[in-house]
Amino acid sequence: MAETLNALERYEALRLDADAVYEAWRMPDRPRIDIAMDTSSLANGAQDTGRALAGLIASSNANVDLGQVHGYGMQWLHPTVQVTFPDGATVLYGPVRVEDAPRLLDEANGIWGAAADLRIGMIAGERDDIPSIRDHEFFSLEPRERRLTRNLGLIDPDNLQHYIARDGYRAAARMMGRHQSEEAVRNVLNEAGLTGRGGANFPTGVKWNFLFGAPGEVHYLVCNADEGDPGAWVNRVVMEGDPHLLLEGMLIGAFATKSREGFIYLRDEYPFSIQRMEHAIREAEAAGLLGDDILGTGVSFHLRVIRGAGSYVCGDETGLLSSISDDRGMPRVKPPFPAAVGALGKPSNVNNVESYANVPLILMHNAEWYREFGTERQSGTKIFSFSGDIPRVGFMELGFGASLARVLDVCGGVQGGQLKAIQPGGPLGSLVPGHVIEDLVLEPASFAPYDAILGGGGIVFCNDQTSVMVLVEMFSEFVEVESCGRCTTCHGGNQRKTEIVRRIIDGDGRREDEPNLHFIDRTIQFSNCAHGQLSPKIMRNILQHFHDDYERAVLGVDHTLTAKGLYEVVVANQRDPQLPAAVDICPTGAIQGEEGRRKVLADLCIRCGACLEVAPNAMAKQPKTARPGILALT
Amino acid sequence: MPLETESKARVRALISEFRPENGDLLATLHKVQHEFGYLSREAMEVIGEQLDLFPAHVYGAASFYEEFRFEPPAHTNIRWCSGPACRLRNSNGIRDAMLATLGLDEIHEQTEDGRVGVINGQCNGCCELAPMVWLEQHETHTVRPVGNLTAASAIRMARALRDGTEIEGALDAAFERTPSGSGVSNG
Ligand SMILES: Cc1cc2nc3c(=O)[nH]c(=O)nc-3n(C[C@H](O)[C@H](O)[C@H](O)COP(=O)(O)O)c2cc1C
Ligand code: FES
Repeated sequence: MAETLNALERYEALRLDADAVYEAWRMPDRPRIDIAMDTSSLANGAQDTGRALAGLIASSNANVDLGQVHGYGMQWLHPTVQVTFPDGATVLYGPVRVEDAPRLLDEANGIWGAAADLRIGMIAGERDDIPSIRDHEFFSLEPRERRLTRNLGLIDPDNLQHYIARDGYRAAARMMGRHQSEEAVRNVLNEAGLTGRGGANFPTGVKWNFLFGAPGEVHYLVCNADEGDPGAWVNRVVMEGDPHLLLEGMLIGAFATKSREGFIYLRDEYPFSIQRMEHAIREAEAAGLLGDDILGTGVSFHLRVIRGAGSYVCGDETGLLSSISDDRGMPRVKPPFPAAVGALGKPSNVNNVESYANVPLILMHNAEWYREFGTERQSGTKIFSFSGDIPRVGFMELGFGASLARVLDVCGGVQGGQLKAIQPGGPLGSLVPGHVIEDLVLEPASFAPYDAILGGGGIVFCNDQTSVMVLVEMFSEFVEVESCGRCTTCHGGNQRKTEIVRRIIDGDGRREDEPNLHFIDRTIQFSNCAHGQLSPKIMRNILQHFHDDYERAVLGVDHTLTAKGLYEVVVANQRDPQLPAAVDICPTGAIQGEEGRRKVLADLCIRCGACLEVAPNAMAKQPKTARPGILALT
Repeated sequence: MPLETESKARVRALISEFRPENGDLLATLHKVQHEFGYLSREAMEVIGEQLDLFPAHVYGAASFYEEFRFEPPAHTNIRWCSGPACRLRNSNGIRDAMLATLGLDEIHEQTEDGRVGVINGQCNGCCELAPMVWLEQHETHTVRPVGNLTAASAIRMARALRDGTEIEGALDAAFERTPSGSGVSNG
């Protein structure tokens, strides 16, 4: 009998069961506490909170269940938990630490108000006058209804049936039931204006067309889940929050490119994402949504997770394909493009996680729906992660074109100083001066006038208490270490660049450094791959936008007192009672001399800051005397 | 016991599911390192045989990646976050302080007795905890994120680990807590 069902009917059969399971989860017989389980919440102690709650529930025989969700975006309040009551009302709480477990359990278990001070907002339904989470200031710039993040807080990410009950796999089923041709799928994406979220912004539908038309039986569909930019965790949210959204996007992509096999290349730094994705793949296979004869259509698509091993350039698609193909993960010159020579030498297509994740949503609705958000030039929404000197670190889903200044407002403004710099796009991205923030909107074109890019979605706000030279040193070292070494231009050039920046920070800047840095910049731009080509950008941004800071550092002056060679640590008060603690904590024994005559030995001091921390009144930072050249040079 | 004295058969049995020309090299390397803590010469020879690759190819590919080791790891590795949010909060001071405490010159070294090492880490998007490190023990496959560090707490933690204290005790020392049951490791 099963043979006579078409794909959509099979889907409806799955849906029937899923609806029942999901309904029972949303309207549970008894209250359920769901712990936010994701990389961030776990790092903040979610497991300890969970264990404490489980212990209390067991010992008190409480009439409460335990479950899991993904965090909603407010990482500074992690670990968060949600309580869902039998009427379907769901309250979000955080941070809920081990010591808060008893009152949280009380609140769930009928003593309403026991955890009132931990309430953040309503994820669903209504309870007293607790505001909806959608009204929280942090999310005030998001579209009223989330899209890529629509299932966060509303499903257990490890439960395929929850995803299905929220219309998941419907778009794929419709397409596979041949209600849409491959061509129609690609056209919808083009109409919607979906472009690659991995940085290069190439139209996704066009790229799929290349692979569709490629010769041969074997096509590989590849997902770039390497997310190597420090400060970006957009892809992680999709994979840990709604893994089937990615799988469905890839399933649709496989159909539209005639691929029967695929890979998700996932960075080693995300073990929890790997676990979630592998679980989701097994679930989808068991339900007949992946593997052979998907939904009875005879179509097959096999998907595997490939675990990366800590190489940044493996995020470049050619490096990634080499890495999958058992080689060193070295990027190479294009052409040949992946659609000609890709994974294991076969025609392939590489897309970012978020690029794929958009596809089911677009097909579920239509191109017009997708264009409701975003700008003329860049349609749709995107997940962004915000970090640095702000009190509210987390992620949001925003329409392209959102004001960055407003984003900073809802992140609580800059902490500890004034806004000095904005760092979008990771190590190959940019450093934009803080004073132009009012002109910036989250759209690639808005960053272009500053020789800057928007990049993959990570944005770091930097205050004026850390020297921009310290930041450029970090990124310069990063691109040097991560250079694959194929071209001397990139590898050697970045070494030289890092050496010069370090020498300046160490107090030995030279006049000729600036022309040399420009020369290195011009040279590295001729590297083989985009890693080399983009690697001098942040240094260039320093010379363009922060020239005063650069100039002062060369002359030996750094008002922030964070460039190591431009300040010293001294004993400021011999009689301060905390001075012995400073002597004690110093890891190099640099504070020497008898009581009353203590002195920091400059040769031993590594300027780690520990003594300043334990004895803030005894110890002090002091600028080094500006170098003699300063007068002549300014 | 170093891997060299184990029989190659053990590695071969461990990786028997993997095939040549199937994109299996990374998975094979991970599996061996997960089991033995590092990739020995002997293991790479067996991997080469299994995947039909020259040992030089296996080593060449493995050495490209930061995560593969060719010597046994320290009992406890401190994985230091090299990312931007951490750098804005003195992570380089924290790194230098830990290295000095342990008597190490650079990242990726370990103390002579093999108790503690410092390795480079990448931001994984928990920047609300910046500056952070992860304490890792291969023997037990433990990975413990530790956030909101300072130079002083990092020194106290490194001293305790150096002197033989295990992870929980080192965290109590770092954050000057009385030993407690609470596992949350953030200051
Ligand atoms: C050094 C380097 C690192 C990159 N890292 C990533 C990454 O981590 N994730 C990603 O999706 N794209 C990354 N890219 C871009 C990819 O090469 C490629 O453009 C992208 O995966 C294509 O997918 P999309 O069209 O969906 O954006 C990187 C590029 C370079 C040069
Ligand atoms: S920069 Fe260290 S956790 Fe993000």
